[in-house]
Order: sequence, then C-alpha cells, then structure tokens
Amino acid sequence: MKFSVKAWSNGRARAGVLLLGGCPYPIETPALLLTTRKGLPIFISPDLLPSLPSPDSHLLQFSPLHFLEDLSPKTISDIGGLHQILGLHEYVFSAIPRDSILCLPECNSTNKTGASFETPCGRRLIKPVEYMEMISSMKPNLWATLADEVPAWVSEKRNKASVDRTVTWLDDCIRLNQAGGAVFGSIVGGLSVEERLRCAKEVMKRNVSGFFCCSLFSA
Amino acid sequence: MNWPRALLTDSGGFQMVSLLHLADITEKGVTFQSPVDGKPMLLTPEESIQIQSRIGADIIMALDDVVRTTITGPRIEEAMYRTLRWIDRCIAAHKRPHEQNLFGIVQGGLDPVLRDICVKGLVDRNLPGYAIGGLAGGEDKDSFWRVVAQCTAALPEDKPRYVMGVGYPLDIVVCSALGADMYDCVYPTRTARFGTALVPEGVLKLKHRAMADDIRPIDPTCECMVCKNYTRAYIHCLVTKDAMGSQLLSYHNLYYMMKLSRDLNSSIIQGQFPEFVCKFLQKMFPKGDVPEWVCNAMEVAGIDISSCCAPFTTSQD
Repeated sequence: MKFSVKAWSNGRARAGVLLLGGCPYPIETPALLLTTRKGLPIFISPDLLPSLPSPDSHLLQFSPLHFLEDLSPKTISDIGGLHQILGLHEYVFSAIPRDSILCLPECNSTNKTGASFETPCGRRLIKPVEYMEMISSMKPNLWATLADEVPAWVSEKRNKASVDRTVTWLDDCIRLNQAGGAVFGSIVGGLSVEERLRCAKEVMKRNVSGFFCCSLFSA
Repeated sequence: MNWPRALLTDSGGFQMVSLLHLADITEKGVTFQSPVDGKPMLLTPEESIQIQSRIGADIIMALDDVVRTTITGPRIEEAMYRTLRWIDRCIAAHKRPHEQNLFGIVQGGLDPVLRDICVKGLVDRNLPGYAIGGLAGGEDKDSFWRVVAQCTAALPEDKPRYVMGVGYPLDIVVCSALGADMYDCVYPTRTARFGTALVPEGVLKLKHRAMADDIRPIDPTCECMVCKNYTRAYIHCLVTKDAMGSQLLSYHNLYYMMKLSRDLNSSIIQGQFPEFVCKFLQKMFPKGDVPEWVCNAMEVAGIDISSCCAPFTTSQD
C-alpha cells in the first residue's frame, strides 16, 4: 500500500493519494468507502457497479462477520479469497469487524478473550485467532485490527480496559497475520482525550500502515 | 418510462382470478376493492382499454372474463360468452388501432366445445393476434396441452399465438412444438427469490446445505454474468438472506429463459427442431422417464422423441 499527502489546506485538511495492490487506479482522499453486505453494495449488482464514478467507487467496505456460518474460511480459501469469490479483482476491499447495521459491538458481552458482536447469526464472541483466520482466508487489501469498541457512556474503568484490550489484540492480530494486506491499527478510548491519545501512542509504536478510528457513538 | 423497445400490457383480467375474494364480476365489468383506500373501483372493458391506451404499449390485451380451470359448471360457459361480448366493447373503445395491437383472449375452460366457439368468435373479429387464456392455473397437464393444441390448430397461421402465464421451460418447449409463439410467466423470477436456479437438468436449489461448499458455477454451460463470476457457495450464502441473492439468481434464470427461446427459434430455422427437443428432454430426463403427457403432445405435434424415452415396459431392446 502506498499513501502520500499531496496538498494541505489551512488547519488540518489534506488531500492525498492511496494506491492499493490490485486496483490499478490511485484513489484520491478524502475518500468514501461503499458499504457492502457480503462484498456487494446492497442493491447494486456487479454489472451495475462499473457505472458508478470510477475509481472512487472502487473502495468497498465489508465485515468478515457477514460470512459467519454462511461461507466457511475453508471454502473461501478454496475459492481463492474475496476478490475471487466476487469476481471484482480491480476493487479494494477493506475489512472492518463492525458495521453500523448488521454487526454491532456488544460491549457488555465482550471479555478479555474476545470482542462480542450482534450478528445475523446471533451474538458471537470473536477472538483474535478466529478473526485472523477469516482475514487470512478472505485476503482483503486493507483490514482493521480487532477492537473493543465501547459507547461513550461507559465508566472510566471500562473505557481504560477497552484501550488495554484493543492494544493486546492489535499485537495478537499482527502476530497471527498471514494474509498480507495493509494493517490498520484500531484506536479506541471513547470520549476521553487522554485515553484516545494513550491508545494512539501505543498503536503508533507498532508497525501499521494506517489507523482505524473507532466510532465515538457505537451502540 | 424511458423504454424505447417493445411493450405489452395486460388488461387486469387475471386479477379477477388471483384476487377473486376481492372482486365482484358482472356484465358491466369487474369491481375490485381499491388497495389504497378499500373503496370499490370498477374496471370495465372500456376503462381497461383506455388505461392501456394511455400507457401506450405496442400490444394490448382485451379484458376477458377469466375463470380457474379447476372449477366446473355453468360459470365457465358464462365467462366464455361474456369474453366474446367484451371483446366487441374493447374493439369499440380502442382508439389507436394503428399504433397498438389489440389481442383477443380465448377462454372456455377445459371444454373443447366452448373453446371452439370462443376461437371462432374471436377469429371472426379479425384481430392482429390471439392469446390462449385461462390456463396455467393448476389444471392437469394432459388437459392443458390438449387445449393448447386445439387452439393452435384453429387459430390463423399468420398471426401470433400467445399462451398466457406459461411457464416452466418444459411447458414452453411443448407449446412451441404445438405452434405457440409467445409466453409470459413469473416463474423464473419468483423461483429465484426462493433460491431456485433453472438449469438444463431441471432446477438447482441453492438453499440446500450441499451448496455451501460447492465451488462450481450454477451451470457450467451457461454464459451469463452470474455463472461466469460466481460459485454456488457464494449464491448459497446470499439466498433468502440478502436481496443480492434474489437479484443474481433472477438474472441467471432470465438469461436461461432467453437462451431457451433463442434456441427454439434458431433450431426451427436450421431445421433441427426435433433434435433440439430430444437433447432438451434427454438432459431433463436422463433416465428416459419423459412424462406421458409430453409424449402424447409431441406425437400430436409430429415430433419424434422416441430416442429419449425409455420404453414403458421393461422389455428387451
């Protein structure tokens, strides 16, 4: 993955260019990721996708949890990964464990071994091992590390714990990484500026290609 | 609608059958309950033609009095005669005969005498095309093909014959052999929404557990976008859960039906129609167990399918 900032404005805004393997076109940033379900935008069939502006529409988001119980990591590997499954070789797939619709973090059920999510197959606890197994089989261009996302209203203690766990799981994900792809370190910390900074400093010490800022208002 | 190609509109007649509990049929027309506010709305032959006129389709259908083929009794005869009286009202109401082609619809249930009267009555009106209606409603296949055969034999050679509501690929092959030209059916897309794909062997149920790790395409002989790009496993993980599953399967099923009609057309032109029918039946009935109604219909149609039928008795040779 190659990213470079081309221009700055007053303040902090910047215009950049992102180059990710597979996609022949450089993507200009700020850029929006198209939300998908199981790799395809919900009502946009693959023959309609190219009629959206290009290359802006080549950046797709998905959650590996979409495939839980439907398509096993083994079958995904047998087929050859997500790009092969979908026949979209020139598209950039970004794996984010949570999406805002189907795979929602369930912070009360999360514990130190894994993050809990409400998924279409019910509540599931996802450990770094299982998450990395999914990532390895799917081979996305870019993926966020497993995070303990908590809503803004949790206690200070719980918020601190979420940062500690997220950093631990970051190390686990990096260690278990066989997939390649650009690793984006997840940054949590709720509404506490201190905790966000603490998390960010820890993540920056690791060898990541980018940062995934987890939402402030996760359900 | 921004549709620069051909368009055909139906008259609303079928809803008399499919929404019967909401409809009241009289000589004037059909009274429906409005789905918007529950108030009664009357659909007359004149009203139906006016609406179809405004839509501007190239082919428009007469409003007919439709009854299910599964009922018996005087209602069938009443419906047939009313259909003939209504066709005259449709013709009178049709103000754009040079831009829109009004097709009449043959009714009469499964009764050959009634069907004959209706065919003759419609042919007398010299319409641009004729539909065979009132079928595709659950009648037994043996009665179904006989009605189609009777109608195609009696309708003019030089005008299109449209079998409404048909149907399964096998039915289309049989009706084509009997001389029908046009069809419409919800089957390909409806069955797609339930996770079923159309394949040369018959159907493939993508919901089945066995599909979960099957990395072949739906149909290796199919050239459609779905079969060229996707595995059964991926479609399996979509069907009944994600709209995209219905979309991709609908696409494949429609492509399959388009190819079927193209093959019917080209095999007839190339003088290879009986061979095409045999190949089609062999793929669908590899053990030779072609249904008896198909054999009977093909005999009347003059198509020799003995090469793909196993003998009815297990005899030598």
